[in-house]
Amino acid sequence: MEEVVRQHYTDKEKREIFDHEFLPHINSMYNFGYRLTLDRDDAKDLVQDTYFKAFRFIESFQKGTNAKAWLFRILKNSFINDYRKKVKEPNKVDYQEVEQYYNSEDVDRQITPDLRVDALKDMIGDEISNALNALDVDFRTVIILCDLEGFKYEEMAKILDIPIGTVRSRLHRARQLLKEKLSEYAKSMGYKNS
Amino acid sequence: MNLPTNPFVSNDGKKPTCMEMLQLILDGQDSQEQREYFKNHMDNCMPCFKGYHVDMTIKELLKSKCCGGEAPDELVAKIKSQIASTIS
Ligand SMILES: [Zn+2]
Repeated sequence: MEEVVRQHYTDKEKREIFDHEFLPHINSMYNFGYRLTLDRDDAKDLVQDTYFKAFRFIESFQKGTNAKAWLFRILKNSFINDYRKKVKEPNKVDYQEVEQYYNSEDVDRQITPDLRVDALKDMIGDEISNALNALDVDFRTVIILCDLEGFKYEEMAKILDIPIGTVRSRLHRARQLLKEKLSEYAKSMGYKNS
Repeated sequence: MNLPTNPFVSNDGKKPTCMEMLQLILDGQDSQEQREYFKNHMDNCMPCFKGYHVDMTIKELLKSKCCGGEAPDELVAKIKSQIASTIS
């Protein structure tokens, strides 16, 4: 992580940063909070807490830099430190295994669930949302950051405090798992594997 | 015949897998050169061709189905009043 340079802002400047750089991300923040907790009320608490912290630590934010990534990082940390402790986490992901999987020579020959574009196009209801929500939270997170919010690998690495290589391997595995779920839906919709 | 050099090859000379190339393309983190190379590659690689279209469709579905909601008004109001009371 790069060094935090403390800024000095007047109350008026703080207010401006808050209103013009932080608040515009509220919808994305709320969606992130909801996708992490899967609960509307918990999402509200998490977002409120995040904005409160963002304001308290506003002097470690440099005006005009990537506010969205900065806010997402605070929310993610609050989720891990405050929320996740309260809720029992089920299975922990074995990341070493993920890494090996990604780096193995067989990677192009691994079995990818057979999914067809026309089956996907028929998923007009909640299938995709349910499939995403069903993923383990660490896998869900990388998909949210990359596919929903359009963060770059480098930004994701900073938000999650992990190396870029890990971002990429985790993202790959997350997409595999998502495809497995979607191909189950496709099968139940009557699509046969081609 | 000389094959064009693969612009995905990293500085340490490691040859990328199809999946690694596809991921960069999919997430728009490729260079112009890499994009051109991959277009050609896809014409001769069925897994990449299929994977590209399926993965792209999923990415678009995720974007259209899983975001775009709005934060509740009361939440926004609460946050604003909390900050206002901190300042004054
Ligand atoms: Zn290929």
